[in-house]
Amino acid sequence: MSYIKINQDKCKSCYLCMDVCPKKLIKKSEKIGKTGQNVAEFIDTNNECLGCSQCALVCPDIAITEVVKE
Amino acid sequence: MQVFSTPKTIKENSSFTFCPGCDHGVALKLVAMVLDELNLQEQTIAVASSGCSVLLYDFLDVDCIESPHGRACAVATGIKRAHKAQGNNKFVFTYQGDGDFASIGISESLHSALRGENITAICINNTNYGMTGGQMGPTSTLGQITSTSPLGRNKEYHGFPIKTAEHIALCDGASFSARVALYDVKNIINAKNTIKKAFEYQKEGLGFSFVEILSSCPTNWKLSPQDSHKKIEEELSKTYKLGIFKDIKNE
Repeated sequence: MSYIKINQDKCKSCYLCMDVCPKKLIKKSEKIGKTGQNVAEFIDTNNECLGCSQCALVCPDIAITEVVKE
Repeated sequence: MQVFSTPKTIKENSSFTFCPGCDHGVALKLVAMVLDELNLQEQTIAVASSGCSVLLYDFLDVDCIESPHGRACAVATGIKRAHKAQGNNKFVFTYQGDGDFASIGISESLHSALRGENITAICINNTNYGMTGGQMGPTSTLGQITSTSPLGRNKEYHGFPIKTAEHIALCDGASFSARVALYDVKNIINAKNTIKKAFEYQKEGLGFSFVEILSSCPTNWKLSPQDSHKKIEEELSKTYKLGIFKDIKNE
């Protein structure tokens, strides 16, 4: 089961990761971050994550700290 | 299997202070990943310049020195030569913006390339002076609206933008000169490989290696991060062609 870890304290709500995820597993959360906007969260109820790490590559703030592929 | 983790060369518990969506973060991450891969962290000295790029020493866990505006290549020359005279083999790279490298520091930059100094320069080209409020820079494209060119850059009045990577490629002392972009995943991976190549050329002692990175500035372009990337893909990469302009190994 592949997964990513998002450090929401680092997220600046640019949503570049949301556009790049091939399975659209990254969504806006209810939590408001330090830029005053909703931070990104990872929801993968059906274990769809591919572990492609594209989100981690495009994140300008290294808020996606870990990608595990299995 | 862990396929991505925060690079070791990024300081623990540091978070970038760049604007949301700024490509500086991606560029610094790539530099840190390459330093990790080449195992250079302990012997690296980074030279920061003025502009948003100065913030480098808050995030990279390597020895850093701050240079006067535009003089990063000159300072790097001194560091490299002084250490070489003492028998230390240090890895020295500069991290500069386009206003720093190609405007105020063009003399230092070009002459470092002409002397064939064995250093690496990374130039972030976001086509304006980002830190001070988006004034027109030497790389602003024709027609680009900035805070000091409200009617757009005019070739009769302001002249033409400078294409830094091509200029460096004309210098005989340069070993490697390339321009990359960061607007999608394919280009980010390509940028990482290019930076790695430039760093390896310095390790092999081939001379001045240079990478220009086309980068977005969403705050001063007044666009969203997504639209900024679209602008680089559709407009900027027409003016600034991506590719390798000089590779001493392929000549």
